[in-house]
Amino acid sequence: MSFEFDTNRRQALMVAGAGAVFPMVGAAAAKPPVLSQRASWPLRDIPFDDGWKFHRGGGDGFEQAGLDDSTWRVVDLPHDWGVEDVLGGAEPAQIGPFDKTAVGKGATGFTVGGEGWYRKRFSVAGYAPDARIELTFDGIYLESDVFLNGHPVSSNVNGYIPFAIDLTPYLDRKGDNVVAVRVRNEGRNTRWYAGSGIYRQVTLDVLPSLCRIARWGVAAWTRRFADGRAEVDLTTSLEGEAAGYEIITRLIDAEGRTAAQGRVAAGSEVRQTLTLQGPRLWSPDHPNLYRLETELRRGDKVVDRLEQPFGVRIVTFDPARGMAINGEVIKLRGGCVHHDNGLLGACAFRDADERRIRLLKQRGFNAIRSSHNPASRSLRETCDRLGMLMIEEAFDAWHEHKEPQDFSVHFREHWEEVIRGMVLPARNSASVIMWSIGNEIPFRASDEGVEWEWKLANAVKTLDPTRPVTAGLNGVLGQEMIAGADTARPGFAGKVDNASTMFLDVPGYNYRLDDIEREHSSHPERVVYGSETFAREVFDYAALMDRAPYFLGEFLWTAMDYIGEAGIGATAFLKNGSLPYYFAAWPWVNAWCGDLDLIGCQKASSLARDVAWGLAPVTMTVQRPAPDGTFPWTANWGWPDELASWNWDDHKDKPLKVRVYTAGDKVQVILNGQVVGEKALAAGDKMTAELPVPYAAGTLEAVAWKNGKVIGRTHLETVGEAVSLRVSAEPPSQRRGRDALAYLKIEVVDAKGRVLPDDMRPVTLALEGSGELAAFGSANPQAVGSLKASHTTTFRGKALAILRGRGKGALRITAHSPGLRAANARVAFE
Amino acid sequence: MTNLDAPLYPPAKAYDPPRRLPRILSSRETPIAILQSNPAAWAIVNKQIPGMDRRIGNEMIKPHLGNFSLESLLVFGVVQREPLARIDAELARLGEVM
Repeated sequence: MSFEFDTNRRQALMVAGAGAVFPMVGAAAAKPPVLSQRASWPLRDIPFDDGWKFHRGGGDGFEQAGLDDSTWRVVDLPHDWGVEDVLGGAEPAQIGPFDKTAVGKGATGFTVGGEGWYRKRFSVAGYAPDARIELTFDGIYLESDVFLNGHPVSSNVNGYIPFAIDLTPYLDRKGDNVVAVRVRNEGRNTRWYAGSGIYRQVTLDVLPSLCRIARWGVAAWTRRFADGRAEVDLTTSLEGEAAGYEIITRLIDAEGRTAAQGRVAAGSEVRQTLTLQGPRLWSPDHPNLYRLETELRRGDKVVDRLEQPFGVRIVTFDPARGMAINGEVIKLRGGCVHHDNGLLGACAFRDADERRIRLLKQRGFNAIRSSHNPASRSLRETCDRLGMLMIEEAFDAWHEHKEPQDFSVHFREHWEEVIRGMVLPARNSASVIMWSIGNEIPFRASDEGVEWEWKLANAVKTLDPTRPVTAGLNGVLGQEMIAGADTARPGFAGKVDNASTMFLDVPGYNYRLDDIEREHSSHPERVVYGSETFAREVFDYAALMDRAPYFLGEFLWTAMDYIGEAGIGATAFLKNGSLPYYFAAWPWVNAWCGDLDLIGCQKASSLARDVAWGLAPVTMTVQRPAPDGTFPWTANWGWPDELASWNWDDHKDKPLKVRVYTAGDKVQVILNGQVVGEKALAAGDKMTAELPVPYAAGTLEAVAWKNGKVIGRTHLETVGEAVSLRVSAEPPSQRRGRDALAYLKIEVVDAKGRVLPDDMRPVTLALEGSGELAAFGSANPQAVGSLKASHTTTFRGKALAILRGRGKGALRITAHSPGLRAANARVAFE
Repeated sequence: MTNLDAPLYPPAKAYDPPRRLPRILSSRETPIAILQSNPAAWAIVNKQIPGMDRRIGNEMIKPHLGNFSLESLLVFGVVQREPLARIDAELARLGEVM
């Protein structure tokens, strides 16, 4: 008997109601379905995140269906044990999730990997008896083995690619099934915090057995704009015997109207062109999305259906204009990001990804580089939805390692899986503008490296020829070389190029500011961008963007702080006379190089960027004064230790370095109504005026002029003693159930409600109601405590609590700190 | 909406190793690993920057020696600019190499 669905929605809902995948563990089994967990058409993407059992550590027989796992902890995915407290840890060598003896050292932010097991019971009794059941993991870090009812069904060695497993061969159609996942994160395998566990979504697909749409089998791209119409080319791949079936493809607009539709007889691979009249185009400012529906039919019965977001846009690159989207030139104001969501670790919560992208958009970023791995589906879809351009990246190493157990160990055997895992799921995302085949690849210019560059670039283009291939290149570009006609990119046969760039359509330069214009004279055909940049060069890159059309823009390292690469942006005070070098060792645990800190607040570099990118006419900071006998030091990826603060009571009457950032040509600094400094700015000042101002409590104001007119004012006030806490909730989640997160900022404020800008003090939370504390901490780049406990220490007067819903209900949160008035807030979950 | 055709980036047909062009070694453009592989060149570097092997011996820098030139290391403070001109003058006397 074959398995097919009827198009009748009521019947489909009945099937879904009877056959929803029920977790059989704990309280989760009784939970009603939530809106974000579709159980009706299509029977793809059924959330499979809730009700897992977890055991940290290894053991025998954990994959067996009959194992008694009643003592294991219930977890709902996404889950990352890397941010959970070290088992049996004791201060001072272990603080929260941080362990001074961790094998990853500062690279992983002194977090600990190891082995963990997950199990989940489920039933598929309500589905058609011959349905093909597939499970898709969007990402597990790092190595994983998946078992169904005790049988091994899959292994994966890359921590960032999605993979699907056909469970059908070992499925018990009538009884319970147990999927077990062993996860190992061992050795020195990463240069940054990667997390540990099933940290991305898991979904289940119930598919027809005879013929179905292949996984990631639909490729769509906007081929042409002509006379007010857009032509969208589609290729649909099927699995199984396609004779007698047909494919209907639709683009549905935001109002639910069918904007275009095509119908064609099915085959193993079918091409279609849809024409949209008056399309709503996608761009970062107007991220209009259509829903791309692919329906597989036999007669009037829908056999399979796939839905995905799709944006109509054309991205072009050329040295005369740079990058254009739908014909309009746009500069990349980008930031590199690692995949962690701050206090939540690597967990790919949709709400967390959405918050991160919103914060970056507020600060003028229009692009991110998913460094140095394929992004989660959740992050990518957020970029599609919110209008954030994206570079997807495959590798941090190819054939030569950076860390002894990094992916280079598996590269030769598994590189194609990674390329497929990056390109196929993401090729319909409007936000993805380039494919990066690697970052700072060791020995990429050797003979072997050049051959890998060719293989990787061409593997990408075979899967998706609609986007350029790039890579992040540090150092030098390698020897000049000439490729023949069969090997070169179109138009580049017989032309002199460099080993590192010859197979890249758009080279990305890491920290090569001084080389960009120099190279342009010898390679005017190149279109380039800064794939990694230092924050301190923000004004140089802004000026370069203005004057060099072939320079697409920059990707700051990094847009936001992340765990790991501890202290690469550190600041320190060194003893006078000592070498200007500081090694940020334990207890540094986060990189401290972001424009935004770990909880999303602006740091000083971000205030400067606000001016460089035109978000503000003037901003002002004060450099923390060096203690007597010391001098300030800043790491390459850092920014001087500046604060938007006028609270320096320990430095009364001493001159402080006040920095005013402005697009104006003159600034004036006024302290308590008296002008205490004035400076004219020339182009060489890079929008920065530094003025010494003797400290006196009160109000420090900066006024910026341009061409004799005031263009902006900003001020700093001396804030009083701490009086109370303040708890403020960010806009509520649009999601339900376990997908919903609530972010609450906890601030230490004075009697006038002003935040103490450099305050550290203990805060304890009390929670009452329905929901749980998912994370609690501050932006402190050093290990100061657990990220899961109900107490923390503020940093710069702030902390952040992240709550996770448990379905409909409310949660009251009260924040206490000794000697201060408590504060509370109420959060409602759906 | 202006009329516009989307670009394509088709794959190449087959890999035939590209031909390398001879070059003058330099502190700006030549990867350190290439200098190391040429005994005469590396002797020049070590003469002008004593203890060079030690300076680039740490685990952070080693993977990048195929990408970093001597000049690339300036930003990290591993070498200073002052000896680079002398190194370049001596490397130039080695003539073009592959």
